[in-house]
Amino acid sequence: MKTRIDPMRAQDDLEDLFATARHMPVRPSAALLDRVLADGLDAQPRPHTAPLMRPPAAAAGGLWSRLAALFGGAGALAGMGTAAAAGLLIGFAQPSNLATLEDAMLGSPLETVELVPSVDGFLVGN
Amino acid sequence: MPRDMQLEQLAQHTDAALLDRYAAGDPAAARALTLRLVPRALGYAARLLGDAAEAEDVAQEAMLRLWRAAPGWRSGEAQVTTWLYRVVTNLCTDRLRSRKRRPVTALEAAPEMADGGPGAVAGMIEADRMAALQAALDALPDRQRQAVVLRHIEGLTNPEIAAVMDIGVEAVESLTARGKRALSAILAGRREELGYEDED
Repeated sequence: MKTRIDPMRAQDDLEDLFATARHMPVRPSAALLDRVLADGLDAQPRPHTAPLMRPPAAAAGGLWSRLAALFGGAGALAGMGTAAAAGLLIGFAQPSNLATLEDAMLGSPLETVELVPSVDGFLVGN
Repeated sequence: MPRDMQLEQLAQHTDAALLDRYAAGDPAAARALTLRLVPRALGYAARLLGDAAEAEDVAQEAMLRLWRAAPGWRSGEAQVTTWLYRVVTNLCTDRLRSRKRRPVTALEAAPEMADGGPGAVAGMIEADRMAALQAALDALPDRQRQAVVLRHIEGLTNPEIAAVMDIGVEAVESLTARGKRALSAILAGRREELGYEDED
């Protein structure tokens, strides 16, 4: 003959099981706690990390870093370098297009420009 | 300062305050948070998954996400435990989906419980009862299991559970009520086996 179970009693049993479960918590192993803590320390932001890291980085740059700082940053230094390289190239290669441009602007080849009258001319004139 | 004394002092801090200290680089806060939160994450995951090894993986992953979230954590937006329970819930749901619920084998896979120490026979009865409870929990639909465990084992309030599960309080009440009815029905046939008849 099948026994009929009182629903209230079944509820009480369940509450009893819950209470037991609350008092028997799952205990983490030491290995798990160690792993979690290691993750935490690895991921932890380091205080003063940025100020401490910057000076070695600057020193590592050496001459170029100091030059860049002197000329107002790496961008300015790069611009000056490019201009210097272009000047050297034009001076050595003397591109024909440049001569054409010179003729067009000045009309004829310019041999001499006397910016200060010679001493002889000065004396003759007086 | 000795480590134990430091931990004792930190134990008085809220979770959010500890997380702030962790984000500020205090290693003692990492230790205090680990000791405080891992048992909760692990216990909840073990109840949802019914598998101790998988529960450990989930607890570690959830804590890793917490460590990474710490620098951007804004106090007052969410409780740390609510956030952690939500992450554990999602990780467990993913695992349950991927493994396609095994047949109930919880008697073998039930997580190891701390020994209550009331004697060997009583201890065995308690272990049997916990295994039976776990087997019954495993038989519940996922959402009912989450709600019942959070309410009756983890001890959260209904509004807290609503925040964890991202549903309304009424839905929580409905899930826990249906879950308890189902558990009672499952366990009703095992009363004698679990030693309840002798106590009447």
